[in-house]
Amino acid sequence: MRLTDPDLRHALAASYVLGTLRGPARRRFARAVQADPGLARLVTRWEDYLTPLAENVAPVAPPARLWPSIEARLGHARTPRPAGLWGNVSFWRWLGTGFATAAIALLAVTFGLRGPPPADAPALVAVLSTPEQAPRMVIEESRGVLKVRVTAPWPPSATQDHELWVVPREGAPRSLGVVPLAGEAQLRPAQLERLLEGGIAFAVSLEPRGGSPTGAPTGAILCSGPIARSKRA
Amino acid sequence: MSAGAPEADDLARLLERASLGERAAFAELYRATSAKLFAVSLRIVRERQLAEEVLQDSYVAIWNHAAEYSRAKSAPGTWMAAIVRNRSLDLLRRGSREVEDVDEVLAGRLVDEGAAPAADLERRAGEHAVRECLGELEPDQRQSIALAFYHGLSHSELAGHLRRPLGTVKTHIRRGLARLRECLERTGAVER
Repeated sequence: MRLTDPDLRHALAASYVLGTLRGPARRRFARAVQADPGLARLVTRWEDYLTPLAENVAPVAPPARLWPSIEARLGHARTPRPAGLWGNVSFWRWLGTGFATAAIALLAVTFGLRGPPPADAPALVAVLSTPEQAPRMVIEESRGVLKVRVTAPWPPSATQDHELWVVPREGAPRSLGVVPLAGEAQLRPAQLERLLEGGIAFAVSLEPRGGSPTGAPTGAILCSGPIARSKRA
Repeated sequence: MSAGAPEADDLARLLERASLGERAAFAELYRATSAKLFAVSLRIVRERQLAEEVLQDSYVAIWNHAAEYSRAKSAPGTWMAAIVRNRSLDLLRRGSREVEDVDEVLAGRLVDEGAAPAADLERRAGEHAVRECLGELEPDQRQSIALAFYHGLSHSELAGHLRRPLGTVKTHIRRGLARLRECLERTGAVER
């Protein structure tokens, strides 16, 4: 059923913005707004009608601890904390045991199950998956070039970049540079071989535009995956 | 926002710089707006801890969506306050048992709603027009709308607070909003 009566649409948008639309009805309406640009504009309009009333409210200072925790959530904390996300035990456990089946399938295809690999076969390959195990990115290394292919693109962002890291068995992740949110890219970091030495996994972190300002990952891990090396490598 | 607070243009500029990843601008935006927005949330959720959660979530959302903010659509203070109000209201469990609520019946009709024609024009409201138009409403209508807006009261809470039958309160709100819309469109604060 479509709601086409403009007065009904107005009434619902108004009670949503006013706040009298509650509970399941509120959530249903919020979902409807996402699927209906006209309704979304109506909500914006009611926000413009009513929200200026909020200017009348006498300010109350929030506690001082709030700002640092907002910064931390945005990955803006001034001191990078490798003991945080990147030292997170569950992350490593997931990396160790949650080996994506897609990686195995890809390995079989890439390296072949029969005979020696052709000369131009990649020396290493990885499928990067989200913490929910959804594959997002494939990475191959061949002759000093890192080929990155985003298989499930992220929506474009004007404010943030994705940065690729190689995670060694011990020590801090090493940056391989900023990677695109969609499509493909070829990265040629200086001394790639040394960077990849001892690497057991790739991971992509969310960073401010231009990449991590600290040289260490600062934002959330978007996807990661173990590195598989061909026998030649 | 209010007197002594930064002008809308300043806030818009800070938002724009934040959208380009400039953290200092975002910190300034926080300093300029957080006390007002904290108060807005506190009145609705009525618990400091919940209001702190709302504020954190809201500023994370403001940072992440700063690039989507458009001056042409809303004033920056309105845009941010709407984010805070929405999160505050979403958190409220009060009044969620109003199964007989007419709004819920109407909202139920939206479930299978497809995309509708984009016929509505978006227009920026005059900053003070809403207060002037509120002044034109019947006192009962004005009071009900203000209580709902500032304190996040549900229809049944309003009825209890105002000692009026539920149906009367709903009528006040519905007619008050309709008159408000009519007034704002008539005064040219927003166009139809």
